Amino acid sequence: MSTKGTRTHMGLKARSRISNTVIYVLLVIMSVVWLIPFIFIVLQSFRIESTWQVGYILPQKWGFDNYLALWNTDFKQWYLNTFIIALAVAVLQTIIVLCMSYTLSRFRFKMRGPLMRFMLILGMFPGMLTMIILYRVLKDLGLTQANAVPGLILVYIASSGMGYYVSKGFFDTIPKSLDEAARVDGATRLQVLTKVILPLAKPIVIYTILTAFMAPWGDFVFARYVSFGTSAGMNVAVGMYSWLQQDMISQRYTMFCAGGVIVAIPVTILFMCLQKYYVEGVTGGAVKG
Amino acid sequence: MASVKLTGVKKIYDNKVVAVHDFDLEIKDKEFVVFVGPSGCGKSTTLRMIAGLEEISEGTVEIDDVVVNDLQPKDRNIAMVFQNYALYPHMTVYDNIAFSLRLQKLPEDQIYERVTNAAEILGITEYLMRKPRALSGGQRQRVAIGRAMVRDSKVFLMDEPLSNLDAKLRNQMRAEIILLRQKLDTTFIYVTHDQTEAMTLGDRIVIMKDGYIMQVGSPTEVFEKPANLFVAEFIGAPKMNIIKTEVTEEGGRYFVHPFGVKIEVDGEKGELLREKGIKNRKVLLGVRPEHIVLAKDGGIPVTLEVNEMMGSELHLHVYTEDQTRLIVRVPTIDLEKEERENLVGGHRLGITFEGKVMHFFDPETEKNLIF
Amino acid sequence: MKKYSDLEYLKLSKWQRFLHKIASFFASIPRSLKNAGLAIVNFFKNIFLAIGREISDICTTFVKGDWKTKISYVIMGFGNCARGQILRGLLFFLFELVFIFYMFIAGIIFPGGHGGAYWLSMLPSLGLIGPHEEYNMVLDSYTTVYGDNSFKILLYGVLTIFFIIAFIYTWRQNIKQNKIAEQILRSGKPLKSGKQDLHSLVDDQFHKTLLALPMTGIIVFTVLPIVFMILVAFTNYDGTHDGYNNSLFTWQGLENFRTMLSWSGSGNQVYSATFGEILTWTLIWAFFATFTNYFLGMFVAMMINKKGIRIKKVWRTILVLTIAIPQFISLLYVSKMFAKNGIINGMLLDWKWITSPIPFWEDPTLARIMVIVINIWIGIPYLMLIATGILMNIPQDLYESSRIDGAGPWKQYTKITLPYMLFITGPYLLTSFTSNMNNFNVIYLLTGGAPTNVAASSAAGSVGFTDLLITWLFKITTGEGAQYYMASVVGILVFIVVAVISLVVYGLLPSIKNEEDFQ
Repeated sequence: MSTKGTRTHMGLKARSRISNTVIYVLLVIMSVVWLIPFIFIVLQSFRIESTWQVGYILPQKWGFDNYLALWNTDFKQWYLNTFIIALAVAVLQTIIVLCMSYTLSRFRFKMRGPLMRFMLILGMFPGMLTMIILYRVLKDLGLTQANAVPGLILVYIASSGMGYYVSKGFFDTIPKSLDEAARVDGATRLQVLTKVILPLAKPIVIYTILTAFMAPWGDFVFARYVSFGTSAGMNVAVGMYSWLQQDMISQRYTMFCAGGVIVAIPVTILFMCLQKYYVEGVTGGAVKG
Repeated sequence: MASVKLTGVKKIYDNKVVAVHDFDLEIKDKEFVVFVGPSGCGKSTTLRMIAGLEEISEGTVEIDDVVVNDLQPKDRNIAMVFQNYALYPHMTVYDNIAFSLRLQKLPEDQIYERVTNAAEILGITEYLMRKPRALSGGQRQRVAIGRAMVRDSKVFLMDEPLSNLDAKLRNQMRAEIILLRQKLDTTFIYVTHDQTEAMTLGDRIVIMKDGYIMQVGSPTEVFEKPANLFVAEFIGAPKMNIIKTEVTEEGGRYFVHPFGVKIEVDGEKGELLREKGIKNRKVLLGVRPEHIVLAKDGGIPVTLEVNEMMGSELHLHVYTEDQTRLIVRVPTIDLEKEERENLVGGHRLGITFEGKVMHFFDPETEKNLIF
Repeated sequence: MKKYSDLEYLKLSKWQRFLHKIASFFASIPRSLKNAGLAIVNFFKNIFLAIGREISDICTTFVKGDWKTKISYVIMGFGNCARGQILRGLLFFLFELVFIFYMFIAGIIFPGGHGGAYWLSMLPSLGLIGPHEEYNMVLDSYTTVYGDNSFKILLYGVLTIFFIIAFIYTWRQNIKQNKIAEQILRSGKPLKSGKQDLHSLVDDQFHKTLLALPMTGIIVFTVLPIVFMILVAFTNYDGTHDGYNNSLFTWQGLENFRTMLSWSGSGNQVYSATFGEILTWTLIWAFFATFTNYFLGMFVAMMINKKGIRIKKVWRTILVLTIAIPQFISLLYVSKMFAKNGIINGMLLDWKWITSPIPFWEDPTLARIMVIVINIWIGIPYLMLIATGILMNIPQDLYESSRIDGAGPWKQYTKITLPYMLFITGPYLLTSFTSNMNNFNVIYLLTGGAPTNVAASSAAGSVGFTDLLITWLFKITTGEGAQYYMASVVGILVFIVVAVISLVVYGLLPSIKNEEDFQ
């Protein structure tokens, strides 16, 4: 009786050890697959014996030449452009998104339902379509090509009110009785927002800032439209995209890798520091729909 | 310190659902009024309309003879305690209590004075620097009350403040609210679904159902003279037994016939029946469980189903021959040991009650016939 | 269709229940169509009724109102000012002045400028005089003289219509305010002062303050452009008819839609075939991109979450790291890794595993598989995060009680985990499907749409096998041969497809139908 009991016990343990081993193997393979491209990028950014793609991983000659070479291109201009845009968008977009989501979460006004439905429908139009006209309007205003930075900021933030879902979902989880208590305590609606809700909404504020800051680094379409053909107005994505086209790739491939590393480092560090909030936002957003 | 007057107050939601119908009530200065009723009866909605958290669809609310319909909550000079306490999680207890005073731009030394004073009264001085999440339910409750206390407001509103506490703590806090009320000496409006709370706290009780006021009166009034069947059943625990029967008159004396047993309605109740001319008609007879006694012999024959031992008293769930279920409440002390031991399921016994404890309701309108 | 009562239904066998469900789904289609139709009819009926009510109210207010109210019909804000609400009155009056100035006076005062009336009058024609050669006396030669600007006419025409609607609305508000003010004064109460009005903007009217900025942005930068672009679909606006520099553009009616959807015409000129092909691939792509990510992401999350797996945080961080790195870097790099002369082919050749490079991006089928696989690489980290959050929220007692009931891991997955996940993430799946349909970045940065589909319509730009509708749209709008009108048509069709899918799926989602099931 007792031996039998021990045997099943051992059996269970052994079985779970096997399945755990399988999982570890899978996880290791996965980690390798996920990290390899980035390891490759870093390694190739230090390769100086040739600037074009090669069939091996470890460079034969190491050096910082590719990074130094970046200095002599428009890369620093692109980088600065992107950084300015990201900073401005992070601030302005956060304000707009918070205004929108707080209002839709807390106020019950007559047009609330129709407004939300309207924005849902609006979101079904491919946003790219509007670039055709926005480009011409911005061009008339002198906000394209070399002046693409303010133009792009305008385009990014203008419609950001439509991305209110995630933070509205968060605001919905803050009990309404807090607002009511504050109003009874003598707070105006503005004071309710600044003194009670905002301090509680720190995670979602940080999430919004983080995503708003990260988006411009990867945006390609709008940046390409607005800066069309003028290097001084490009962001890193558009600029470096041109390095990998047929005519440039043989000279710029390793420089692309070096540039990629420089772009990725600050964003990644920032992201890793604020990862907690990002995870909270992403999960909450999906659950809320 | 103020009077509150509600005149024809109505709440109609956007989907045309009427939550409160023509609510009329005058609350005197320093009165403690309790709104009580089952969930969805409109009691909280009414309170929230007084607070300004809910728009008033029709009618007027006056505080100290000023119509406040269009005033924001902050301009009505009220204080409110919420069911889930609504403490600001990011502020310490001190900041929570001081919040409203800071909004009034009071000097800090006065704020300090008032907050520590309130904390003293409530016994939460040692928690002043804690955040709400580090407090127990009872302590949070005290903070919520403290927050309302410091404001010197005209009216004190409480929305089911005790319903999130466990039974023991609830009894304790109930006693403290009574003490608090004596200290503050202001107008209280208190919402609850618990009739015990209503009975123990209120000077006057407003019993509501489906948005209508069923009865307004002192605890004694609503207990002894329920206006209708709903109030009769709602107030008192265990709830009143209702028996279908009829009233007959024989030579100036009045009788009821529960389950074929003839019982005379004597004394005051008999007089009232005569006054109202109620005779030879069907009625719903109401008798509270504590007013039923075990008959030594005879009485209405019933079979015991369950015997709940509550300590000081026994709740006997019995059924009659036509399967009507009744509850009888017997003080434990009234029974000998063997008698008690005999009271097990299936035991047959007889019950009876006197005329003076009877209530009569119209089977159609459910109104109290001798109100 | 036979109707079953609950008890009858429970008696049916598994198959019968299944058939019953399918049958009732199809049986419900006519009814839901009818409901949708009725809803639309009701919508318009209500609009007309509302307009009727408004007009009758405007008339009765005029007849019953005092002289202040009557004057307000012409001079906006007069009533407000006369009753002491100076701030409101001035704002109304100012708006009226701006409107009149914009409509009629701006064109006269500014040289070369045009007022709203001009734009409105030109809207039906989109311009009469195009750029043409004219004799220049000073230079003694022919120079190009520019005429009307179709683009601006369309843009400002739309803007003017927006403005007129806003004006009518404000005018109506102005009348309403007079009526309300009269009522309040009659009941003996005071009106709100300007100071109170301002204060209410941070208090009971705070939502208006908060929404002002975001809504202005949305209207100017999204609504207006979308209306404009919808209208473009009915014109011949393209690279050679840019409306000013080379030639005017004009209204075409439904011509472009006919071109897009018609099957007639000679082989290479038929858009509809190309459109159909791209739409099919877009839907296939969106389906695989959504569901491969979803299930694999869930799988990875479950692996990491499994009891007994150590350093959970490290595994998670490795995956999350890839979210941080801007997509254009990772996508462009991976795309080059798999190029003919890329590092993957290079290594495989070195190791003698293959003798000639694998045509990852040159073979249509392989390219399509590659984008889906690489999209998994991109997408799993997100889904892993989402799934982790939800998995941790599933009440553990569900698993414990199912274990007591005798369920193994697979049963637990299919009967608890999956239904729970699907229920919670239903709406997310829908949005993720539609956003995958419009997933520009992954396709454009990986393949740019390549390999080229030579069989596709040559009139529709160079279309590739991995092109989605959205990248096709982008291609149509760039370059000299830009066919903006066609891009517009594609955009409208994308909208219709997305809207239909959303409507149908939305109606089927359990989380919408029975919200309380898992709460």
